[in-house]
Amino acid sequence: MQVCSTEFVTLGRAQARALGFPDLPIAVVPHPFGRHTRDKVREIAEQCVEDIAKLACTAVPPGSTATTASGKRALKVDVADDADAINRLFRERRWTDGLPVVPPTVERVERMLRCTPRAADELVAAVAPGFGVATVERIAINAVMAGCDAECLPVLVAAVEAMAAPEFNAQGIQATTNPVAVWLIVNGPIAKRLHLNAGINCLGQGNWGNATLGRALRLILQNIGRALPGEMDRATLGQPGKYSFCCAENEEQNPWEPLHVERGLRPEQSAVTVVGAEGTLNMNTHSKDPDEVLRVFAETLPRPSGNDYFLGGDPWIILCPEHAQVLKAGGLSKAEVKHRLWEASKMPARRMTAVDMQLTRVRRGTELGAISPDTLLPICPAPEQLGIVVCGGPGTHSLYVPSFGNTRSVTREVIWAA
Amino acid sequence: MAGSIVVFDPVAPKRDGPQQSRRALDGLAGKVVGFVDNGKPNFNHLVDDLAELLKSRHGVKSTVKHSKRSASIPAPDEVMEDLAGRCDLVITGAGD
Repeated sequence: MQVCSTEFVTLGRAQARALGFPDLPIAVVPHPFGRHTRDKVREIAEQCVEDIAKLACTAVPPGSTATTASGKRALKVDVADDADAINRLFRERRWTDGLPVVPPTVERVERMLRCTPRAADELVAAVAPGFGVATVERIAINAVMAGCDAECLPVLVAAVEAMAAPEFNAQGIQATTNPVAVWLIVNGPIAKRLHLNAGINCLGQGNWGNATLGRALRLILQNIGRALPGEMDRATLGQPGKYSFCCAENEEQNPWEPLHVERGLRPEQSAVTVVGAEGTLNMNTHSKDPDEVLRVFAETLPRPSGNDYFLGGDPWIILCPEHAQVLKAGGLSKAEVKHRLWEASKMPARRMTAVDMQLTRVRRGTELGAISPDTLLPICPAPEQLGIVVCGGPGTHSLYVPSFGNTRSVTREVIWAA
Repeated sequence: MAGSIVVFDPVAPKRDGPQQSRRALDGLAGKVVGFVDNGKPNFNHLVDDLAELLKSRHGVKSTVKHSKRSASIPAPDEVMEDLAGRCDLVITGAGD
């Protein structure tokens, strides 16, 4: 049985259905539950216990134990051959991200499927929180809708595989109230083949590949993972990156090894990395002194409202090429940059509110032991977990990408025909 | 007037698997009730109160309390095994 606060009953019911327990009973308490006084909690418990007793002893309605269909092949729909009619249909059925789509016709989807050796009905992963069956064909359908070039399909297949890794925690990312998007980082030769932008404005508008790949992933998360806003996607505000959040690493101007090589692949291999990202924060400094650059970065990261500090997160730094060169010229390796930032960005627990510090004691107690107001909290459990990539064009703007916290980025090789 | 075309439905059904059904209890007297505290503020107090009230008002024999480190991660396998092995009813929390 679940106890849900009123605003979360929709999620509770949908989640129970997705996990195969369609008649799981739910006892409801008023939202926001955490705000009540201790006496009010007791008053709510007095009513809630009677609801629980009644629900636990209520007979299960018959006919609710049917086995679900496997749905290996996608369904088709007849629609008037008219752009307005097609988009009206997709809008009414909540099949879009809010923007018009490219109609996923049989011809377009088949053309895309020719870009992978994998069978159309091959299962890539079940996507949380609805655990919809992501076959290669369904990934292609959503990619067509997003406007992707056919050659993008292998990147999306690898991204769906990466998101299914338990440490990524797609379940948490999809259903949370946090403003978290999935950021795609593409490495290796496929980035050039797809003409992805790793340079000027690579996280902004204007590049077809970046825009459509990120958008396709969102459509996959929504249509296959079934995280519809207001239903299983419980984001309080969301963020613009939920429309699209994708770039390539600027390997040519990276003075160190690129991300996929750091993670065990060869330079000539291609890879995609998925990150549970909560936006971007500009870190602008004109200093050419590596110690100063590291100091101002380290002073930018600590936030008493940040999940990275609450939970021991998966934070990322996007270094612009000019900052990366300053640090490299200072004789620093990527590992040394990580270590120095990790040490210098520790935050005294007292900066948090009392309630958040108490929650942090529960969440990070195993990692850090007893937490007092003087405890220095690291941004993530170990320096090597601080992610660093080099992206962007000329200028003095690097970015801090805060993480959802309960997530670890995952890298998967992209298998494609070069 | 436009003709018609065929487009794919982009939505996926959920993966194969039997839909499981709960078992209605024949009363709470003598039963063991488990809790998974999701770690959100106040839920620990609700768990304490419900445990006491289930015993005092409904004759529940005993309660088993576990808590998660954070709401957005699953309970560990050993917690799930403990609850499955000992409890007639398990209550989890969702929401804020």
